[in-house]
Parts: sequence; C-alpha cells; structure tokens
Amino acid sequence: MKKLFFLFVIPLMVTGCNDVQRIDTVNDQGKQVMSLDYRDFDQAASQCIQSLIESGVLAKTDGSRYVLSTGVIINDTMQRIDTEQLTAKIEKDLMNSGLVVMTSAVGGTASNRDDTVYGLRDVRDSSRGEEFNQDTLPKQGQIIAPELSMTGKIFQRNLTYDKHKQQVEYYFELKVTNLKTGLRFWQNEVLIGKRGSNKTVAW
Amino acid sequence: MKKYFLLLFYTTSVFLLNGCNEPYKDDRVTVSSGVSRSTLADNILTRPVYGAFTLLVGYGIDLKDVKVFKNEAGFLEIQVTGHNRAVYNKSFDYKVDWIDANGISVDSKAAVWNTIFAKSRSIFSFKTVAPSRDAVDFRMNTRPTPN
Repeated sequence: MKKLFFLFVIPLMVTGCNDVQRIDTVNDQGKQVMSLDYRDFDQAASQCIQSLIESGVLAKTDGSRYVLSTGVIINDTMQRIDTEQLTAKIEKDLMNSGLVVMTSAVGGTASNRDDTVYGLRDVRDSSRGEEFNQDTLPKQGQIIAPELSMTGKIFQRNLTYDKHKQQVEYYFELKVTNLKTGLRFWQNEVLIGKRGSNKTVAW
Repeated sequence: MKKYFLLLFYTTSVFLLNGCNEPYKDDRVTVSSGVSRSTLADNILTRPVYGAFTLLVGYGIDLKDVKVFKNEAGFLEIQVTGHNRAVYNKSFDYKVDWIDANGISVDSKAAVWNTIFAKSRSIFSFKTVAPSRDAVDFRMNTRPTPN
C-alpha cells in the first residue's frame, strides 16, 4: 500500500503543482489582458510596417536604400515599457524589405547607438592606434549620415465605461522625418482599445 | 358597386406600383439594419429567432474576392473582400505567410495574427502588403478571435 502511494500519489501531487505553461507566441489563444502585452506590440508593429511599405515613401526611384535612424519613442503610458519592443520589430522588417539600412552611428537612445563606432575612432586617434593595421581602421569622413529619422509616442487613456467596467485606449504613433528637409514623410497611428473589469489595473 | 371598383383599382395600383419599386442594389454598398426598411433580421420581435436560426445554420464569414497585385515599389499586395452573413458582428483573426519564388516562407515580424471586425450582414475588406519584394505568393489562415 505504501509502495502504491509513492508510485502514484506523490508524482500526481508534484505534477499538479507544475501549472507553468510556455506560451505559444505564434498562435496564442490566451485571454486578453488590460495592460499591453506582446500581442499588442506585435499587432501595432505589424500595422506600422504594412503602412510604411504600402505608402511607398521608402522606395527610392534609383533603387538605392535610405539610411534610417531611430530617434526617441516616448512612453506616455502608466506602464513601464521598453519602446524597443515596438521599434526593433519595425526596424527588422524594414531592413529585410531592402528599402532602408539602419544606422548605429546616430540614434535617439543609447541602445540605438553602437559606441564602438566612435570608440574605434578614439583608438585610431590615440597612440594605441599605431598597433593596428592602418588599412583596417576607418578613415575620416566614412560615416554615412542618416537621411530619415523615426520617432514616436505611445500613450494611454483610461476611461470609465460604466459602474463595473473601464476602457483603456492605447495609441501607438510613429513618424518618419526627412532629416535634410525636416519634412515629414510618413506617419501612422494604431489604436488598441480594451474594455474590462474595473478591478483590473492597467499598469 | 362603382365605389368598390374604384377602391379595388386603387389598392391594386398601389400594390403593383410598390412591387415595381424594387430597391436598387449594389454589392459594394451595404445598407445596414436600422437604415434600410425592417426585415426579419432587424425586427425587434423576430431578430432573436432569426439570430438563433443563423447561428444554427452556421452563417458566418464568406469569402467574396481576393485581389493580388504588385504595387509601384514592387511589393505584392492582396485585398480580401468578404461578407459577414450573420446577424451579429463578428471578429476573426487572419495571418498571412508570404512565400518566395523557391516556395520558402519569407521571415517577417508582420506575420502575426491580425484582427478584423466585420459588421453584421455587411461586406468588408482588408489589405495587406508583403514585407519583401521576394514574396511572389501567399498563404492566409484564419481563426476565431480568442476572447
């Protein structure tokens, strides 16, 4: 009897406690949450990518690619968001589309810049630079300046729907500006609205 | 007797004239319930029965048309037109996988489930564009929107 207990009951108890599941991020059928989750970022990014490519503003007539830098994306929501959750997806698809090449020399946030670009130049100009094969060091005037910059904002509005429900609206706004002329080439807004219990906190 | 003939003539004429006055129809324009005249599906008394019937029969989204074209920048675009035959608004998700000339799926962050909200008994359409010029074909899957 004791053996049976150890054989069947104990394993059952152990597996019963293990209620952690890995999310199928490709075909997630999980319930919606009031806060922003990865599905919202996926959808916002997807719509922005579609809009940018469809607009045709990134297609140069000579077939060459624009140099794009990512500026500041303001998080004006009540949530702690890394805005790169949005921009990284857009950047990836835009680069894969063959329309743009991203620059790491200039950017709105430190994570968009690669300090090695300037670090290597500092080394070149220092006494340590002589240790390098001079042909492999970057020369002056080789960095390509960005032609376009992508900036944006994510903001949130909380509304009372009725006694028991609240409505939360999330706006994803993105803009692409021509840095030479200052003219805005493209902009898009994606709205994701959620309605749910007042008991849920949207931050 | 003459009075009755006149009355009969009058009612028949009204009936016939009304019958000739068929409403103009164009598939591209949906005259929604509450805008057009009342039907079984709109009537406050018959609507629940009609709704239950459509649910039973399984009225839902019908595909009407798929247009595929290349835009000026050389990217493949598709426009899907459908018809929500149910008396209730319906939402569903779709996901497009783009295929290149070798039959390989084109990797894209835009290949996610997107939601479409289709109004009851209305035509709807949506457009989507390939993320790369390499895409020459597509596969589209749909699913009910998770609650």
